[in-house]
Amino acid sequence: MTMERRDFIKISALSGALATLGGCRSAEKQLIRFVPEEELIPGIATWKPSVCTLCSAGCGLQVRVMQGEAEVVRRGQQGLIKMGLAKKLEGNPQHPVNQGKLCARGQAGLQVLYNPDRITQPIKRTGPRGSGEFQPISWDDAQKELLSHLTALKSANGANSLAFLSRPLSGQRHELIERFLHAYGAPPAIWYEPFDEAVLREANLLSFGHARLPTFDLARADYVISFGADFLGAWNSPVAQSIGYGEMRQGRPGRRAKFVQVESRMSQTGANADEWIACRPGTEGAFALGIAHVILSEKLAPQGAGSRAGALISGWSAGLPDYTPEAVEKQTGVPAAVIKRLAHELTQNGLAAALVGGAPLAESNGAFTALAVNALESLVDTGHGSAPLLSFTPDPPVETSGSPAGESHTGIRALVSAPPQLLLLYDANPVFAAPPGLQVRDALAKIPTIVSFGSFIDETSAQADLILPDHAPLESWLDSVPESGSSRAVVSLAPPAVLPLHDTKPMPDVLLGAAHQLGGDVAKALPWSTYDAMLRAAYVPLRTHGGSIDAKTDDDFWDAIQAQGGWWGAVAPAQPAAPEKQAPITAPEVAAASGDYPFYFLPYPSQAFGDGSLANLPWLQELPDVLTSAMWSSWVEINPKTADRLGIKHGDLVEIASPQAKVQAAAILSPGIAPDMVAMPAGQGHENFGRFASGRGVNPLSILEPRSVGDSGALAWASTRVKLARVAGPEQAKLVLFAGGMSGFPHEPEPR
Amino acid sequence: MAHKWGLVVDLDRCTGCEACVVACHAENNVPTAGADQAARGRAKHWIRVERYWEGDFPNPKIRFQPVLCQQCDEAPCEPVCPTYASYHTPEGLNAQVYNRCIGTRFCANACPYNVRFFNYYNPQWDKPLNLQLNPDVSVRTVGIMEKCTFCTQRIKAAEIQAEAEKRELKDGEFTTACAQSCPSKALVFGDLDDPTSQVAQLSSSNRGTKLLGELGTKPNVTYLERGTWENATHG
Amino acid sequence: MRIPLGWQKWLLLIAAGAFAWALVKIVLPAPGLHASSQSSYVTTGVFTPAHPDAYAAIKDFLDIHPEHPVQPIAYTHTVHLAKGLPCTFCHVGVDQGPEARIPGVNVCMSCHQSIATDKPEIKKIAAYKARGEEIPWVRVYNYSDSAHVRFNHAPHIRAGVDCATCHSDLTKQTTAERKVNLNMGFCLNCHTQKKVSVDCETCHY
Repeated sequence: MTMERRDFIKISALSGALATLGGCRSAEKQLIRFVPEEELIPGIATWKPSVCTLCSAGCGLQVRVMQGEAEVVRRGQQGLIKMGLAKKLEGNPQHPVNQGKLCARGQAGLQVLYNPDRITQPIKRTGPRGSGEFQPISWDDAQKELLSHLTALKSANGANSLAFLSRPLSGQRHELIERFLHAYGAPPAIWYEPFDEAVLREANLLSFGHARLPTFDLARADYVISFGADFLGAWNSPVAQSIGYGEMRQGRPGRRAKFVQVESRMSQTGANADEWIACRPGTEGAFALGIAHVILSEKLAPQGAGSRAGALISGWSAGLPDYTPEAVEKQTGVPAAVIKRLAHELTQNGLAAALVGGAPLAESNGAFTALAVNALESLVDTGHGSAPLLSFTPDPPVETSGSPAGESHTGIRALVSAPPQLLLLYDANPVFAAPPGLQVRDALAKIPTIVSFGSFIDETSAQADLILPDHAPLESWLDSVPESGSSRAVVSLAPPAVLPLHDTKPMPDVLLGAAHQLGGDVAKALPWSTYDAMLRAAYVPLRTHGGSIDAKTDDDFWDAIQAQGGWWGAVAPAQPAAPEKQAPITAPEVAAASGDYPFYFLPYPSQAFGDGSLANLPWLQELPDVLTSAMWSSWVEINPKTADRLGIKHGDLVEIASPQAKVQAAAILSPGIAPDMVAMPAGQGHENFGRFASGRGVNPLSILEPRSVGDSGALAWASTRVKLARVAGPEQAKLVLFAGGMSGFPHEPEPR
Repeated sequence: MAHKWGLVVDLDRCTGCEACVVACHAENNVPTAGADQAARGRAKHWIRVERYWEGDFPNPKIRFQPVLCQQCDEAPCEPVCPTYASYHTPEGLNAQVYNRCIGTRFCANACPYNVRFFNYYNPQWDKPLNLQLNPDVSVRTVGIMEKCTFCTQRIKAAEIQAEAEKRELKDGEFTTACAQSCPSKALVFGDLDDPTSQVAQLSSSNRGTKLLGELGTKPNVTYLERGTWENATHG
Repeated sequence: MRIPLGWQKWLLLIAAGAFAWALVKIVLPAPGLHASSQSSYVTTGVFTPAHPDAYAAIKDFLDIHPEHPVQPIAYTHTVHLAKGLPCTFCHVGVDQGPEARIPGVNVCMSCHQSIATDKPEIKKIAAYKARGEEIPWVRVYNYSDSAHVRFNHAPHIRAGVDCATCHSDLTKQTTAERKVNLNMGFCLNCHTQKKVSVDCETCHY
């Protein structure tokens, strides 16, 4: 039988209408709206100062705050509330370090505050350690439990068995933790960061009298040579250095600085060099001394230049006879003619500086390399009548308890060899970032009680028994004292930019509360109930030191320092000083890559994630790596000739194996890497760090040998040697590239 | 006073740090695609930094080049749009009117710079990441093309403020998110019709070129060539 | 067209309905605002600009809105305006920024903690405040999401446009109602008359 067209249309319309009704849901449970806790005019932005905490440079921020509606829990009830929300971060234009600018990582700081994997309330472990089974508890119970652990340990005369493991902190947070520990009777805190700069600090102390990271006034430079320092990427104070770089290139009409980068793998910084020189790994110090030899022998520098830092190098006063250009060519692979030319260029083009950092200092001879480049730096950076380019950021005149920062890996080794009874943990992740050979995971298993204050579950905090989550940085009173990047003393300080979103408490306040409850010496050492009271006591004395704030009363000063985002002193860079007399040092050998493990292995701090602590921020996961355009991935950079020899094509899955462990990742063929080296960015390979980072990529730090730089205890993260083999094709490797079709690089695959 | 918005990209200052890329995402509610969609080529970066390699080890050379919508005066994306969603504003911007867009994607096809991004699906934000979204900028839904707008919301806010204060806009009073964040000041935004503005002066530099200028698109973005080392002293 | 009758008709009807329902589910997925799970110590739930279902999408597209929205409190503009309150007393910020917004319960209580406290509607307001809850007003003035239009109050107020021009004479309204049809033609008429920009990107960006 048939039907008429009209009937068909009626039936279709009816079934369509029925389908849409099927989409109807019963009205969603209406969430109640709480009365706002602050008065804001909707649609109008206010800008509040803050401090960036995503790396140790300590840049100043301004936060754009606008009213919005957030889902929150108040008095145990779910609902909505109108509150100030952070919408955009910019640099604070008045801040001396970053002068209104901000790097890619800093811009992503908003995703720390609003990260879906932030721990929203105190939690207590209910399953076995590492199982991820936690149950929420109240703040009262959580703080009582923390106090009971601290009290029990103290009364059992076990105070020296308390350990505090944290990422490096400056300013009063550092003070608070160290004073707490000291008054309690515990050893100083372990300040841990995977790519720490202990070797450079030690070398700067010997060469220049200052145990701190250097500040280079690149804006005045005419010639910069960098031995491995990724100063436009992730090294030292990248924003301050990038500002100076822009000026040295195009900030002075008619005057453009030259930039030479010396490294074995082209970094983001090296890509900007006028001249890029590949140097055999571990021989950068020899290279620097070869240049110094030419300068000394041809008397290209003023008489006596560099003699103080040079005295640390064996043979300096004799003109470095072991470092003729021909001898250095044999060691480094750099032609003698180039060494001679650089010596002339460095001394004949105005203000010059030599920088060192990164992988060269993480080889087993890193300490020597640093001293060698420092000697070259002091030889060429003579200022020509004005100040040298190198200086050191002065300390603000703030009372500190003066405990020096311990070296990260020495601290980790101490923790592992003598596990404490009680470990307090804050934002440090050695289970992920320290070489497995240091056996951090096993050591944690021996610690009876672990309490974390961090905001996220990561590989280390997953081992905690109790978590008292801190506020996000933008919700906190923040202060920091930048170690470098400015010719003035700087204290960055800001009140919270937004109200807390979750049921968290500021870590400093929790510690102060515990101190008060413990009584005795601990309470005396920390007589404040909130962190802002401690900040006020510490920084208000700056009022009488002039600088950027002119205030008649302490109250006025306190208001002004909060409004400005900090205090900065008059320009007074600390010059390189006369170092103590030290015995001159000769160059130790670096183990070559040969035999079973014929490749140098370079795990570099990545542009997006730094050392991996930012891998849980989706903007940074999706940020295409600027040299490869890779996103959401791990990869191995391999020289094309090497790849050809081993039958590896672009995108293939390859295996990198060290004597310790192995990892597999996609191969990216790169002309910017030496044929006997392979490189991988650090930061991926988390097993437990939220939904964006977990189970993604591989962790190159997990195959590192737990070797030290000389006797220093610092990790020689560039000293591991590996072997390389193809495992499978690109379908297994799952490399995600943004720029499949961007032309120019002959080794990229054709676009789909 | 009429304005004509333009941008200068100084390739000698650009370091490839990609601060501009993240700043743009934060300012303009650009959705994050996630690993799976990104693998399908659907990641959106309104500004991206391209890199061009030449040569082999040990003398490789690489050049960085930030690319964004060139806001062309003779934009190839405008005549092909059947609904007039892509059109040229009196202030020299190539505007994308989201509610007119019906998703034919002819504009992306026509664009030689590959700077237009299509929403193949409704974007999602895991709560509470959505709290960061900028209320001054639309959140685009499925079927809509999007691209760099020279932060038109900032342009409008500045113009409205200047009008309220009964004055002209000053050069440098506001800028785009990318230019604001760039540490080395490689990106400079401003009014090309104001001869005293920094962008107008830099645009007339003898280092200036246009990207794919030979196509006749008349971009309003000028690229300043990267310098080279002359082995001579400087004055 | 030859379409079957009898049992085949019903089969066709069910198949068509199922297909349409599946299409709707695929094209317009995703939950909107809803209570997230309490037992998790991280945040759950997803925000998307997609409409929660087809019904909402159709309402948005056709600009279907209730003619007489029922408000939780029987507020009267008449009474308040008769007392000489300017619009900006409660709708703060309308001359500074894009939004006028419905005022919060604190604004009401700033007067009503002492004025007319015996009236039942005022008691309801006080009860909301005591519970720490905002009054769940139903929004009356809105643009459809798909219009992607960004209206900015401040330039209009500064230009001397009277609130009543778009919001009709509120001295004659208790709770607000959309008596003026705020379609694009309405905006363009005034913009053309006043010789203000009619460029698309002025409002759609």
